[in-house]
Amino acid sequence: MELVIKAENVSKKYGSEFAVKNLSFTVKKGEIFGIIGPNGAGKTTTLEMLEGILKPNSGTIDVLGYVPTKQLRTLNKRIGVQFQSTSIQKKMKVREALQLFASFYDGPSQKDHLIDLLGLHEKLNVNFEDLSGGWKQRVTLALATLHQPEILFLDEPSMGLDPHARREMWSLIERLRKQGCTIVITTHYMEEAEKLCDRVAMIYHGELKALDTPQQLLNRSVSKNLTFESHQLKRKDLETVPGVIRVEESDGLFHVFCKNQQETAYHIFRICHEREISLSNFYFEKGTLDDLFIHYLEEEVVQ
Amino acid sequence: MNAVVQLAILETKMFFRDRLSVFWTFLFPVVMIWLFGSMFVGNEMNGLTFAEQFVPSWIGVNIVTTSFFTLGTVLASYRETGVLRRYQSTPLQPWKILVAHTVQGTVIFIFSAILLMIFGMWMYGLSLPDYIGSTLLALLISILAFFPFALFLTSLAKNTQAAAAISSLFLNVMLFLSGATFPIAFMPEVLQFVAKLLPLYYVINLLRGTWNEAPISSYGVEVGILLGISVVSILLASRFFRWSGK
Repeated sequence: MELVIKAENVSKKYGSEFAVKNLSFTVKKGEIFGIIGPNGAGKTTTLEMLEGILKPNSGTIDVLGYVPTKQLRTLNKRIGVQFQSTSIQKKMKVREALQLFASFYDGPSQKDHLIDLLGLHEKLNVNFEDLSGGWKQRVTLALATLHQPEILFLDEPSMGLDPHARREMWSLIERLRKQGCTIVITTHYMEEAEKLCDRVAMIYHGELKALDTPQQLLNRSVSKNLTFESHQLKRKDLETVPGVIRVEESDGLFHVFCKNQQETAYHIFRICHEREISLSNFYFEKGTLDDLFIHYLEEEVVQ
Repeated sequence: MNAVVQLAILETKMFFRDRLSVFWTFLFPVVMIWLFGSMFVGNEMNGLTFAEQFVPSWIGVNIVTTSFFTLGTVLASYRETGVLRRYQSTPLQPWKILVAHTVQGTVIFIFSAILLMIFGMWMYGLSLPDYIGSTLLALLISILAFFPFALFLTSLAKNTQAAAAISSLFLNVMLFLSGATFPIAFMPEVLQFVAKLLPLYYVINLLRGTWNEAPISSYGVEVGILLGISVVSILLASRFFRWSGK
């Protein structure tokens, strides 16, 4: 499999604080690669080092065979970037923005195709500042993909979008990938990472905690749990059960995170049988990336 | 080249979409001339009528407002809101951005200068410049000196407010001390000396002179100083160009 991005032992410091510490990963051609982590974890810093905007303090980065900070202009012809918090000129109309950005690149632009794909027809004569959040994201996505980039970097593309707009954004990203684009995306919506990404890197405090497919990450024990309802059981009854890592409870609905679901289930049933406590809606749950995310976050707090 | 042209045209269009900047750039100077005119008209100074004195100097002041506000402060706001950062991830080079904005500023300045001249001719019987080629050349040199000068100074600002503060400071100091509004001859000696440190002083000498008295060849000192400012500022503005506030 051809690799389009190689990052080796990359670190970035702001003052004496590490924003990113000893990060290594590769991205394969044609995949959707997710970088996830809580706010301030170093996702954007990582992305901006790949884009060549920030220079790492140590480590090497190779994007499409270039050193990003040294060959920025050449690289920029072949990558597309959607920033998290940048804006284009407020009083620029959508049509004008597309024309302007198309003029920055030598080759033909897929402007008309993107207008169709993103449904921008009705908004072509609207000033950027008058667009809603969802439309702004669509426009900046269009600006990032005008020149059919080989790699597309998206920094929190669905931030601030309602669930419907978010799903539409995902299907657009899927379509761009079908055109042959490699996509690197940061997000803190776990659902997004789960549904969209081929592989996910989890970053906490600038360090890589896990890197795998969403399915493999979910198979990790930390996210497995037993879910059931009971109005007689107390949280503290469960915390001492063998193999239990963590208990979540709200209004009689329990999530018991454990190392071995079968063994812990056995103990819970035993206790309930002995004490004649009734359980209902008991099932084995695989857990979500959300659980894994919280697990790492709590681990962090404990340290 | 296409990118420079597109950007210059778009920025010019967007300028006219902002009513406030249109007011300050086009109407404010006209209102000022009219106010000063109601006070000074009829009083000849150094053998020049009111309009011969004030119209060329307000055209000079307009170079300052265009360079500091239309160019400098706007670019500082683009730096703050991430417009420039967005450009950074395209193949667009910084010099193209600076050239495009300079072209846009020049176009807007030309409109405002023509407006002032017509107003002067209509209200106060101003005539066209005596040495029109020299006046045009003087304007070109003044633009080349002031645009990069303002672009550099405002690029030092951390954010838009700071850029606007720098711009207002320079505009106000130059407005009152460089002879644009009050005749230098009436000022105490210290202030007369300060006036000569301000670039606008030389622009106004050059514009008033070529408009009323002599061709540009008689103003070697002014031309030399302005070209010097121009070269140094262009070097500084392109050397210290920043994409973002960080």
